Amino acid sequence: MKRLIRLNVNDKIYEIAVEPNRTLADVIREEIGLTGTKKGCEVGECGTCTVILDGKTVNSCLVLAVQADGKTILTIEGLETDQGLHPIQQSFVEKGAVQCGFCTSGMILSAKSLLDQNPDADEKEIRSAISGNLCRCTGYQKIVEAIASVKDRGPIS
Amino acid sequence: MTEYDVINTRAPRLDAPDKATGRAKYIDDLRMPGMLFGALLQSPLPHAKILNIDISEAKRLPGVKSVVTAEDAGSIRYGVSPARYDETMFCKEKVRYVGDEIAAVAAVDLETALKAVSLIKVDYAELPAVFTPEEAMAEGAPVIHEDYPRNLCAEVHQEFGDVEAAFKECDLIRTDTFKNKRQDGAFLEPNGCVADYNHLGYLTLHTSTQVPHYVQRTVAMVMGLPVGKVRVIKPYVGGGFGPKAAANPMELAACLLSMKTGKPVKMNYDRDQVFLFSRGRHQFIHILTTGVKKDGTLMALKNECYLEGGAYASFGIATVYYAGSLLGGPYKLPNMKYDGYRVYTNRPACGAQRGHGGVAARAAWEQQLDVIAEELGMDPIELRLKNMMSAGDVTCNDLNMSSLGMKECIEAVRDGSGWHEKRGKIPKGKGIGMACGFFVSGAGYPIYRSDTYHSTVTVKLSEDGGTVHVYTGSAEIGQGSDTTMAMIAAEALGVPLDHVSISSGDTEFGVDLGAYSSRQTLMTGHATKMAAESVKAQVLEVLSGALDVPKEEMDIKKGRIVFKRGTPDFEPIRTRYIKEHRGWKDQPAGDDLTFREAARIAYLAKGTIVGTGKYRPGELGGKFKGAAVGTSPAYGCSAQVVQVSVDMETGKVTVDRMTDAHDCGFAINRTSVEAQMEGSLSMGLGEAMFEEVKFDDRGRILNANLGEYKIPTALDMPPIDAIIVESNEPNGPFGAKEVGEGAIMPTIPAILNAVYNATGVRIWELPLTPERVYMALKKKKNGA
Amino acid sequence: MLLPHFEFHEPTTVSEACEIMGRLREKARPIAGGTDLIVNMKKNLIRPDHVVSLAKIDDLKGIVRENGLLEIGACVTAAEIAGSDAVEKKFAALAQGARVLGSPLIRNLATISGNVVSARPAADLPPPLMAYGARAVLMKTSGERSVDLNDFFKAPGKTVMDPDEILTRIVIEAPQGHYGDSYVKLGLRQTFEISLVNVAAFISLDGSDGPISKARVILGSVGPTPIRSQSAEDVLGGQMPSEPLFARAGEAAAGDAQPIDDFRGSAEYRRDMVAVLTRRALNMALKRAGSR
Repeated sequence: MKRLIRLNVNDKIYEIAVEPNRTLADVIREEIGLTGTKKGCEVGECGTCTVILDGKTVNSCLVLAVQADGKTILTIEGLETDQGLHPIQQSFVEKGAVQCGFCTSGMILSAKSLLDQNPDADEKEIRSAISGNLCRCTGYQKIVEAIASVKDRGPIS
Repeated sequence: MTEYDVINTRAPRLDAPDKATGRAKYIDDLRMPGMLFGALLQSPLPHAKILNIDISEAKRLPGVKSVVTAEDAGSIRYGVSPARYDETMFCKEKVRYVGDEIAAVAAVDLETALKAVSLIKVDYAELPAVFTPEEAMAEGAPVIHEDYPRNLCAEVHQEFGDVEAAFKECDLIRTDTFKNKRQDGAFLEPNGCVADYNHLGYLTLHTSTQVPHYVQRTVAMVMGLPVGKVRVIKPYVGGGFGPKAAANPMELAACLLSMKTGKPVKMNYDRDQVFLFSRGRHQFIHILTTGVKKDGTLMALKNECYLEGGAYASFGIATVYYAGSLLGGPYKLPNMKYDGYRVYTNRPACGAQRGHGGVAARAAWEQQLDVIAEELGMDPIELRLKNMMSAGDVTCNDLNMSSLGMKECIEAVRDGSGWHEKRGKIPKGKGIGMACGFFVSGAGYPIYRSDTYHSTVTVKLSEDGGTVHVYTGSAEIGQGSDTTMAMIAAEALGVPLDHVSISSGDTEFGVDLGAYSSRQTLMTGHATKMAAESVKAQVLEVLSGALDVPKEEMDIKKGRIVFKRGTPDFEPIRTRYIKEHRGWKDQPAGDDLTFREAARIAYLAKGTIVGTGKYRPGELGGKFKGAAVGTSPAYGCSAQVVQVSVDMETGKVTVDRMTDAHDCGFAINRTSVEAQMEGSLSMGLGEAMFEEVKFDDRGRILNANLGEYKIPTALDMPPIDAIIVESNEPNGPFGAKEVGEGAIMPTIPAILNAVYNATGVRIWELPLTPERVYMALKKKKNGA
Repeated sequence: MLLPHFEFHEPTTVSEACEIMGRLREKARPIAGGTDLIVNMKKNLIRPDHVVSLAKIDDLKGIVRENGLLEIGACVTAAEIAGSDAVEKKFAALAQGARVLGSPLIRNLATISGNVVSARPAADLPPPLMAYGARAVLMKTSGERSVDLNDFFKAPGKTVMDPDEILTRIVIEAPQGHYGDSYVKLGLRQTFEISLVNVAAFISLDGSDGPISKARVILGSVGPTPIRSQSAEDVLGGQMPSEPLFARAGEAAAGDAQPIDDFRGSAEYRRDMVAVLTRRALNMALKRAGSR
């Protein structure tokens, strides 16, 4: 039986009736239409579906949508503002950290979560923070460089 | 050296903002009104006769719109090489591997489709199965394809020079056997597609592919449609690395279901189905015998190779040739003998994966060369430099190294890594090793023998001259080809990059063989350059008439017209342009005539300005059987130094640093060239250290997921120093050649050589798991 | 991948949860972080008709340290354990286990109860917990019981829990005096790994440089459940700590291991690694003991 849930996604409230067996990833993609959240493995092994749930990065493929009822969710679409790209997004663009782009949403959200807590993260901390987000294209080199260079850009909104 | 305005820079990729904001659309993001969802029934058995298929119950399930089997699909054979079309959309008589496709369903939603699949009843008579080349080639082994006794899908026998005679002159001859493991592309985006057959009889297939053109041809052939009625559109693709370089049964099934139902049909592979479809790297067993003179001169190589291929040929014929031909260089090797066997087994089919066919061979030989260097008392770098070819040299198997910055690459990594300061001076448990490699810049011939152009490109100017539209069928799959083509067009035409808009990956934009064999920068690049130059010539032609200045005395640079003999009076043109744009606020001003004004004048004179470009390599390579595989207009090359630490008690290897130099001819986009090198290195590191698709004794994959099939994480990758070497390739556009695959070649052997340097133990089987290294150390310690 | 259909329950108290589990028993599965349950359901390995979320029960949250006891609520995540000062200071081995569990994303979801109840032989939290002699508190409508984790696991995926029981918290008696603890893990990659072998060690010394008064060595991934190595503990008990002693304990532990050959590794390798990892874990534990 469907349940009515209330999600705050990127500062917008959604009230959605969902079957309990739908994952948060599916509801974000299919009901809310935010397809920047990707599905690469669906069992928590790749990180492409990363969202920030009540301040913490999680694999949204492993969260039931009904479990997220009442919670606040940030997806990749929530980072861009009227002023343009978020500094992390800008850094990924400029440093060449984007190739196929399928890991990029999750990678940027993991980076944001790290830099929110630790703006001066060193290389090891950066690599650890994104170690649940697999990338097959970049060898992580330019991703790590992009995240490390964000701190030179001043405060992150 | 020519000064360039757009190319050879670090321009940010054009697709990066959309990808960094989640706006970029991939196949699974596509939705269409009335869309149905498809699902496949795949064989649970590795080898079995199909006695009966009962779809009645599946058809009766509410919400099911179509159930199709071989009855509906017919038995048209397809595949990669026309010489081995051995696949059909669905199995009719028998299944050949766990995962072979038997039927497909389209329904109102995925849940219904999956339920219907589970209701299809198949009666099988199980047949004995074979899983290794040894089993498959054994006397009396079960035959997987009737036409191929001993399960030999393809065999190659080549000899260049006289190997046995050369061995007689050698001071040292070594034989080593090397084995890699079957590997998966492990791109992050699972394959998916949406097929849409419309009322006018046109079939459009949106699909996550590297090769829209080949998919279009395969779909047209199997569906019995004219090529012109099939359109293949590639959205953004989340990586390919080879396994997406041919049509797959899911795409064909979606097309059939859409034609049956008249509705769009969406299908996706789950991650385990990605592993089942496979088409990744073969397992290779190489037995290499190399002979050298005392002074290190390479005399001869005998290469015997067995490939475990799986149930279908896929790219296998090309793969088995590549496993021989790509050892022809980059060293001067006068004599080479090759015997290769690609063997069918009851496992998923292997295909082309980054560094197609050459990676295991290169790993084996570069490690053997290190052993030889040591036995001769030479530094490994010295041995390599001594035998290195130079630009213009031709290998014994007729590969023409029209440019070759190999020596520069070796010197760059030697100096960049501190080789001489470290080699032999670092403590036990730490090691440093190096290796070299080279790769084609595009296959010299299409997969189907044909005189087709490998690329045709159209460049069209908007009527206001403000935007240069580039249309190409080439495939951006993450490597950055769209940005590369836009940069080439901008440079060739003489406009800034932000004037260029690129549309790609659609068979209606032109013919392009797609993203495989590292071909697009060179081949699509040539066609793009030619199309842009044509547009430039047309604009200058009209301008020449309007200003009465000879064409040869004008040029276009940075979006402005350059007059070599002084600027003529272009006021009438400016006045006319301004008149055409009454009320506009951004009218041209200043002392220079802009490209925009010139383009508008050209449009007014000739209508829409369209330029086309095309590329097809000239005659390449030798005349012997199989000479086509390995020939290319140009060869990229690279050298690499790797430093490792080995935990001598557990066998665990940590790669501490990688220094790579790659000769890409000329870097169109410097950031993207480095990015390709870095990506190649991480894939090579994964294959060297972790990656192996494992099976149980019933042919089922044990690790068909990204938890147990381990690709490197950010913590497994060391910092990479990527050094670009430019040799100015005469056959490349602006001197450019490949970087997409060549850089992976030295990675595995450099790691193997570094591990030996750290431990004193040579390991001839991949991957270098802690267990494998530990067991080798233990064996050595016990004096075995 | 689709999840099978199920009815979702979201009790807000432990007694309510117990009531539901008591009524539905085998038909229901509790869900905390979901990183194990949802994967198994997606892979069609289990199809419960009912899923009972523990996430809204406040009593199952939080780490409390009082009266010489550390109590970790069932819904406390690996990330919370890894980031807890109370754990880091006194229970370093547990913190280590929590830090290497899965990935950063998984650690934000996976809970201590899930890691224990799923009873995977390679799980990262049970060995350190067993090294401290931790107990699981189990609750059902008829009452509460507390089980030593050393008696908790029966087989892969199997525990002593009844179908209607809920694990509400893990309780550890805070060790006193000069003790040291550690957890080491070996996998292929640097992270995001299922252990090939893991070892947790605990030693307490009689005085700051005295002999070993008590030792615990727990071996993971080398048997159907985490194994307490009695032989290693016998080697260590009453002896002065030293490298040769720890090497002997490692050999003894290797003798207690019951590894199998599987696609991740051979029994021989695992057994050899038990010796190496046990010695390393003991060395690390001794180092910690010295600094306390």
